[in-house]
Amino acid sequence: MRPIVLILVFLAACSWATDLERSAEHDYNAPPAGTYKLPVVKPAADGEVLDSSGHALRLRELTRGRITVMSFIYTRCAAPKACPMATGVLLQLRRASERDAALAKALRLVSISFDPAADTPERMAAYSALADTGVPGAEWRFLTSASQEKLKPILDAYGQAVDRRENSLNPAGPLNHVLRVFLIDRDGNIRNIYSSSTLDIRLVLADIKTLLAEQTE
Amino acid sequence: MKRTKLYLSFLKTRRFRAAAIALALFATVGALHADETCSSPYLARIEGQEEFVYVWTLGDEGVGDGSDKLVTIDVKPGSTNYGKIIHSHSVGGRHEAHHGGFTDDRRQLWLCGLETSKIFIFDVHTEPAKPRYVKTIADFEKVTGGAVGPHGVYALPGRVLVPCLSNAKDHGGRTALVEFNNEGDYIATHWLPTKETPGIAGAEFADGYCYDARVLPRKNVLLTTSFTGWKNYTRDFGDLAKDANAMKEFGNSMTIWNFHTRQPTKVFQVPGTPLEIRWAWGETHNYAFTASALTSKLWLCYEDSAGEWQVKEVARIGPEGGVLPADISLSADDKTLFVDCFGDGKVRVFDVSAPHHPNQIYERIIGRQLNMVSQSWDGKRLYFSSSLLAHWDKSGKDNEQFVRAYKWDGKELTPAFALDFTALKLGRPHHMLFGSTKIGG
Repeated sequence: MRPIVLILVFLAACSWATDLERSAEHDYNAPPAGTYKLPVVKPAADGEVLDSSGHALRLRELTRGRITVMSFIYTRCAAPKACPMATGVLLQLRRASERDAALAKALRLVSISFDPAADTPERMAAYSALADTGVPGAEWRFLTSASQEKLKPILDAYGQAVDRRENSLNPAGPLNHVLRVFLIDRDGNIRNIYSSSTLDIRLVLADIKTLLAEQTE
Repeated sequence: MKRTKLYLSFLKTRRFRAAAIALALFATVGALHADETCSSPYLARIEGQEEFVYVWTLGDEGVGDGSDKLVTIDVKPGSTNYGKIIHSHSVGGRHEAHHGGFTDDRRQLWLCGLETSKIFIFDVHTEPAKPRYVKTIADFEKVTGGAVGPHGVYALPGRVLVPCLSNAKDHGGRTALVEFNNEGDYIATHWLPTKETPGIAGAEFADGYCYDARVLPRKNVLLTTSFTGWKNYTRDFGDLAKDANAMKEFGNSMTIWNFHTRQPTKVFQVPGTPLEIRWAWGETHNYAFTASALTSKLWLCYEDSAGEWQVKEVARIGPEGGVLPADISLSADDKTLFVDCFGDGKVRVFDVSAPHHPNQIYERIIGRQLNMVSQSWDGKRLYFSSSLLAHWDKSGKDNEQFVRAYKWDGKELTPAFALDFTALKLGRPHHMLFGSTKIGG
């Protein structure tokens, strides 16, 4: 992918990161944090991944110890309500953490690619550079895998469905997938799974603060 | 430099986002779905026309192997097997096969047994023409803390919502919503509100019963309806109808929930067991229809101008005395509502363009008894099935068991194919769901 295309895809993500207001797509008031429960959905699985420097690490190192919001993406995705939307919401969370020191300390963001052939560590580094605001805030890690063989057990464990489109030139991108963003608590348990219909930054923030309140009880 | 800043600024606007969405939609419009209109909004969609109809079929004693089974019909246009059974998988035994649903990625089909509280899980991704049995959730009552009678399976992101009909303690109508992750592991149980539940409007109407559960994501609301408990739906209907006390144990309520928190917020009085819920699909259509089986009425749940949810009766279905409306199907353009009436075997079609003022425009006898209807997204194909419940189906000549497909041209139904499930030694066909080899995101 040419750098200019990567930039445009990322800017499409930025378009989702505009405001925290009630909208036509999310036409309701978010519930106050701590007024509801988030039962454990399942444990966050481990796996072998590469960071954007090409260093191998275990995924569990990034799904324990902090509240983690983890998004499966691929950087060639141009479907507006898929990866660009997910990255946009993570960007909103990053910006929120820049204004909230406690949130910055408690939160980790992870974008993990399911397209390792195209999303090399170098590509993920370029993608991550576009998210770098230069302001201190929550840690945001960009991951990929060394191969499809390394990736498959991770996708299976998280239930991230990915298929190749019949038309590889589809303007939405060559891969067909459901949008999955995971909220993971400090103990490594998945506490919520968001899709394009439920990925409302206000709900994600309320959920993060609900988990934070739970830890102080 | 100034021009670059302006350009970057534009890229961050809602106008750009809308343009990007419009462009992407335009690019993919040729592949847009022909999926069934009553499915979960969280479900991955079929691209193009449905290729298979999966029929969750009750075993019938003396008919074939007598077991509940998943039957697959080929409905692919141009197929040499069009309108024929191409696969059948018996699950062994009779469990009161009722409703089912897909996981949100459409890779699994979960099928519920009302009587034994078992859920059978099939892989419909590897080979959609031949669903593969994966496993059974057999400890439903134990893991859910006493809920029984799993009724349907509603796809949510990474999990499913299972509205139940009863409880293990007294087998009455008090029941719960249950969540499992897509792997089949239990997550949570949410009991329906009762008169004692604090902090909800209309608590005086709460009866704790449930039937259907469906979400309008845009408004973050979940809506539930109410039916009856295990001891009633497993009893012969003729016998039940003579028992005045038992007949009092039917649901008369609908409940609005905050979907995200899974907390009930308001209960409505809706006499006569409101059953299937169909939310409108339009971007500003904040309403849903339901039909009450025992009072034969059509109800509208809607958000009023003050942002409050309300429920009101909007039409009578059929003549005085009632026709037991069992299933409804709303067209994707929110203009046409098909109402299946078990009592007289007719489908009644309403123009619901003005949702507060439905107007019946057509009716046709489909069979001697009629239960479910599934409609393609383009509104051109409808599939009907016959069985209501093993103990409530009609007897003798009236006990026709079929799947019948029709084409709808906006004015009338024209037969496409018919399958006699008794002659084919399959059983009593109930819920029908669409399958395909082409699933979108």
